[in-house]
Amino acid sequence: MTTAATGLADRLRDLLGPDRVLEGDLARSLYSHDGSIVDGACGLVVLPETTEEVSACMRIAHAAGVEVTPRGSGTGLTGGAVPLGGGLVVSLARMRAMDEVDVANSCVWVQPGVLNLDVSTAVAHLGLHYAPDPSSQQACSIGGNVGTNAGGPHCLAYGVTVQHVMGVEMVRPDGEVVMLGGVAPDPPGYDLRGVVVGAEGTVGVVTRVLLRLTPLPPDVRTMLLDFTTVADASAVVQGVIAEGVIPAALEMMDRNMTLAVEEFVHAGLPTDAAALLLVEVDGTEAEVTTATAVVERVAREHGVRTVRVARDEDERALLWKARKTAFGAVARVKPSYYLHDCVVPRTKLVEIMEAIGEITEREGVMCLNVFHAGDGNLHPIIALDRSDPDETARAMRAGDQIVRACVAMGGTLSGEHGIGVEKREYMPLVFDHDDLEAQACVRRAFDPSGRMNPDKVLPTGTRCGEVGLADAQVPEGTWI
Amino acid sequence: MSTGWTPGVPAPERDDLNTCVQCGLCLPHCPTFRVTGLETSSPRGRIAAMRAVQAGDAPVQGDFTRFTDECLACRACEAACPSSVPYGRLIEAARVQVEANRPAAERAGRRLAIGGVMGHRRLTRLMGWGLAITQALRIDRLLPRRLRFAAPRVTFRGMRRPLAQSSGDGPTAMLLTGCVMDIAFRPVHQATLDALVRAGYRAVLPEGGGCCGALAAHAGERESARALARARIAEMEQADVIVADSAGCSAHMRTYGHLLADDPGWAARAAAVAAKVRDAVEIDAPPGRPVEGRIAVHDACHHLHAQGIGPEVRRTLRAAGATPVDLGDGGRCCGAGGIYNVLEPEMAATLGEQKARAIIATGAPVVAVANPGCAIQIANHLTALGSDVRVQHPLEIVD
Repeated sequence: MTTAATGLADRLRDLLGPDRVLEGDLARSLYSHDGSIVDGACGLVVLPETTEEVSACMRIAHAAGVEVTPRGSGTGLTGGAVPLGGGLVVSLARMRAMDEVDVANSCVWVQPGVLNLDVSTAVAHLGLHYAPDPSSQQACSIGGNVGTNAGGPHCLAYGVTVQHVMGVEMVRPDGEVVMLGGVAPDPPGYDLRGVVVGAEGTVGVVTRVLLRLTPLPPDVRTMLLDFTTVADASAVVQGVIAEGVIPAALEMMDRNMTLAVEEFVHAGLPTDAAALLLVEVDGTEAEVTTATAVVERVAREHGVRTVRVARDEDERALLWKARKTAFGAVARVKPSYYLHDCVVPRTKLVEIMEAIGEITEREGVMCLNVFHAGDGNLHPIIALDRSDPDETARAMRAGDQIVRACVAMGGTLSGEHGIGVEKREYMPLVFDHDDLEAQACVRRAFDPSGRMNPDKVLPTGTRCGEVGLADAQVPEGTWI
Repeated sequence: MSTGWTPGVPAPERDDLNTCVQCGLCLPHCPTFRVTGLETSSPRGRIAAMRAVQAGDAPVQGDFTRFTDECLACRACEAACPSSVPYGRLIEAARVQVEANRPAAERAGRRLAIGGVMGHRRLTRLMGWGLAITQALRIDRLLPRRLRFAAPRVTFRGMRRPLAQSSGDGPTAMLLTGCVMDIAFRPVHQATLDALVRAGYRAVLPEGGGCCGALAAHAGERESARALARARIAEMEQADVIVADSAGCSAHMRTYGHLLADDPGWAARAAAVAAKVRDAVEIDAPPGRPVEGRIAVHDACHHLHAQGIGPEVRRTLRAAGATPVDLGDGGRCCGAGGIYNVLEPEMAATLGEQKARAIIATGAPVVAVANPGCAIQIANHLTALGSDVRVQHPLEIVD
């Protein structure tokens, strides 16, 4: 390490003590990864516990001019929490405090290291829950959810993270603490929460989040439908929503995925089906009964083989476990996976599934599909062994073609995982030059020195005022 | 490719390491990660560290040893892992490597405690008498805190208490007498023998008897563990059913087949014994007496995570008329972890206190604990908090 970096470590150690500053080679290497296949380089790790400590760390980093990457649980799938240039990782994993629930306003302030599922568990006795439920909800942190604007199966009816974040407290790159939003439904001034949610750590470090809590539905019914063709299952997805029923969740799983998952959960999933739909409807008892009838009728019109309704909470939990552990279960097939979460209009589900089948077959890679069918948010998981360079190259090529196919069908790059490193070079597929430059300017307004999680989200070369200005001679000091 | 593993000693296998996709779903289930929030004290982090050593990017000594030592081997991560990463097998192999690289002086103390004493029945009993004397004279208060919290209560009467075998006609069930169980938990042994008789078995004890080798295996002392396994197999293989009333022992004996798989003389015998192993709470005996009221249930990691045992304990208590009460902490480890509480006293104390508080919060007068390490740790932490909740094996409660 350089002398400057050593000085940085000394100052951080003076602030946090030796146990909360990690400098060892092996420890740093563990913070050079997240849930994706992106490899990075981490220079130093700090684990602050309070807003004041985060602010102090950021001031020290600002003075030293080092790059900063915030990290929650490190379950992200696009490399968002992976430091690329040997900078400082600010792990929020020890910031796990929750305030008292504000029952009157159905909300609660939490620190960013609190795990998603722990929020719902902690407020269940009040008849409330935190609605966005990423599949990794048992492990992922609220801070990470805010960073990626995370989704989840139940976001079809309830909305994604941004709809459930009422306010954030954030430490800016220079250490200043700012408060955006709050309990009031429409705080005056620009609504900058929308900039922070989904910014993937590029505008500051979120240190507290005011979460909206949602009443637990009085009644829930979970159904598993199985089909002999993907087209039939897709038709049911469209048909149910066309009937005016928005299920709480509407998930699809193809045969490859079902095989891998069933081996782990033993939920009695029909492994010979071409596609499974997991449908959950909630509301009052009458609403649930009506919605269930609609789902069953539409399913029968499209040749459903069996309709399995979860009899009790245990069976419901088992079916959801099958869905929510799907990514991890891929290791039964290959040691790694390459995953996109692009989105297509619901009406294009059949076409895109066929296209994915053709692409992966052409490249000779195995693809497993499990996704939020209700909002067209795909998760084609390409299983691969990274020690096989040829297979890795084929997997990358297949992923690339899938993304392009989605965009060509009127879709977009990401539904919920964020852009991170993995998808940033695709940004020009959906944004033109001016769009990207406008986004770079927003980023620069929050982070003038460009040290916050650099090289994430926006493609390389996109800098506020830098893109396309090579030829134009702009006088120094000109505001661009 | 050069690797950081010491050659000629078992190491984590590449295929096992490859089953981890770094999804991180294990993190919240890991008790040490829950305390520290550090990737270095998480299952995913430890596996990544093993991969780094495997790739030759890190040495076994130093940080890798520290990260490995901090693991409780509770295997809560294993039950949570959708890829079924064989974490228990990985961490045991990593520990063999760690022990092979540990400085001799440091290693000697560990060996003395694990292989040296627990491996020999006479020495174990001698240690028992030593504890009984120091505790009777109350000079155990002079011991360092870490040893006091790891030491069971041992009495002269308990050490001498004879065990009654049965002479019935049913199939033969042989009870593992073990090491710690034999000096500090003979009432549990008696309750188990009684339950076996009620279940229609001819309940017998082995000639000789001794440690199953679990403590040695968990600490990376593979050869000691194998020697102890052979001794137990030779003593117990004639029985129809082999019963252990300690969760750690039943879980370990079920791995005898794997432990001796590369020993041609013993592999088949080991696998046959492993298949006959039953934990005491699995024997499904009718209750010996009615029990009323609430009973808190602590799930030993080697029950819940290693063997999927949990409902059995509750069923046993319910059959006697009691109301089992869960602790509401998701079955988190109590921090005993074999001799973990001696080696990593700070982490063990944090977890032990958390567990004791969760037990007290249930308001139940008794907590059912089916593993000696947990029983010692929990009893000591309950006492330290001034609680009078009693710690008993589930079969003891219904005996």
